[in-house]
Amino acid sequence: MEISTIITMVLVLGIVWGGLAFFLMRAIKYEKIKSKNGKK
Amino acid sequence: MKQQEFFSSRWMLIIATIGIAVGTGNIWRFSRVVAQNGGGSFLIPWVIFLLIWSVPLIIAEFAIGKSTRMGPVGAIAKIAGRKFGWMGAFIVFVSTAIMFYYSVVTGWCLRYFISALSGDLFRVDDHLAYWNDFTSSYEPLLFHFIAISLVAFVVLKGVTKGIETATKFLVPSLLIIIFILFVRAITLPNAIEGIKYFFTPDINVILDHKVWLNALTQNAWDTGAGWGLILVYAVYMRKKEDIPLNAALIGFGNNAISIIAGITIFSTVFALSLPAGQAGSVDAMTQVSQSGPANTGLTFIYLPLLFSKMTGSDTINIFFASIFFLALFFAAFTSLIAMIELSTRTMIDFGLHRKKAIKIVVVAGFFLGLPSAYNLNFLANQDWVWGVGLILSGAFIAFAVKQYGIDKFRTELINGYGSDIKIGKWYNYIIGILIPIQVVVLILWWLISSVSWDPEWWNPFHVENAGTAIFQWAIVLVFFIAFNKYIVAKTLNSNLD
Repeated sequence: MEISTIITMVLVLGIVWGGLAFFLMRAIKYEKIKSKNGKK
Repeated sequence: MKQQEFFSSRWMLIIATIGIAVGTGNIWRFSRVVAQNGGGSFLIPWVIFLLIWSVPLIIAEFAIGKSTRMGPVGAIAKIAGRKFGWMGAFIVFVSTAIMFYYSVVTGWCLRYFISALSGDLFRVDDHLAYWNDFTSSYEPLLFHFIAISLVAFVVLKGVTKGIETATKFLVPSLLIIIFILFVRAITLPNAIEGIKYFFTPDINVILDHKVWLNALTQNAWDTGAGWGLILVYAVYMRKKEDIPLNAALIGFGNNAISIIAGITIFSTVFALSLPAGQAGSVDAMTQVSQSGPANTGLTFIYLPLLFSKMTGSDTINIFFASIFFLALFFAAFTSLIAMIELSTRTMIDFGLHRKKAIKIVVVAGFFLGLPSAYNLNFLANQDWVWGVGLILSGAFIAFAVKQYGIDKFRTELINGYGSDIKIGKWYNYIIGILIPIQVVVLILWWLISSVSWDPEWWNPFHVENAGTAIFQWAIVLVFFIAFNKYIVAKTLNSNLD
């Protein structure tokens, strides 16, 4: 596999899947805080 | 009218909205566009436009729906001013016009699922003839009727008991099926060639402006940003719900699924196509990029052929083909739910009860979808006219935010009560500068390029050209602008109590 293919793969998967994982973790964290605080 | 129904949790809101975003466009359109635009070269601009088109517009739709608690007509009138209510009506019309033929497409997916499950699809020698026989028979009408009736049944039950219950089952099932197909595809011999093509960039292609414009179009079409559908689901989000984080999850989640679907299709096509030069071989890339009538070539003609060659066992082949078409059906079905809910919500805002509103929407949807079920050229025309019209819808949403005051919109509506993370000033530049530039460039490019493929570009009765798009938009816009006062007054007055 060419180096440019590997770089594109890492870049695209890193941003899209990495971004999804990052935002998902943040959402889970804030949901936990909200449920602890009983925020209405 | 007091808002009475809400999505029961953040996760249900996200699942339902992912159901809007993930449609057939993620599976068959995405793969075709990647193939036509140089594989990996396309993915880089596609990721950039996720950040500067899709996510900002999804954030805007969430904020408008949550703050106004109304469908696009009332919402745009409240945010941008009463004299701009026609923009909201145009947004509703575009998504409703798409709904008419999308119900037909949903019916195709259901029909092919049944054909695959019964094994009928594998007793066929000529898949093109099989497809032509199907589309020229009465069956597309029947399956269009079944699809729209099933969705009506879901929407009739309301947001919590209908939409939430259905998407709670359909969206996770869709994701599981896509994952099973993904694992199967990447473990096929020679699948790596497809993955290599999918991720290999070509510097000459990256510099081609068409690739960038196609990347923007794909983002505009497949994330659901600017359609008004997310705005309507946001009407049912609880006050304590966050906006920026949820919007990011939907945009990134949608594109993450597109990548999985793309790898699956490319691996399958490269693994199962006969090598070049061998008798009966066809170039894999030609097949992926071959659009066929209404972009159907890959999905309904070539993939069934590939599934029949997947393994030596008919039972296993039937299983994989069946779940593929079932996934397509689920993806189309959950998007169709949102389209019908958008029209229904608009009529509820107009003063009608949900039951009566759904009856009108479904009857109109069935009859106005019939021409697309009968004639693929009509479907292609509607796909062209209203597909490009979606860019105008996105522009109208950005315009409404600008009228309200972008900074005020950001600090009060997006970063207001319930927000987990705060959006910075970068949002002002994207909505105020980048999105208008993207809209102007994109619409001009589409219209100008249509001149090059049709010498009679002005003729409104051709399938795909500038004339037909401008002619149909003009009729709709003139009508809504002329009746703006009445439409806005009726919508806002019905919601005073």
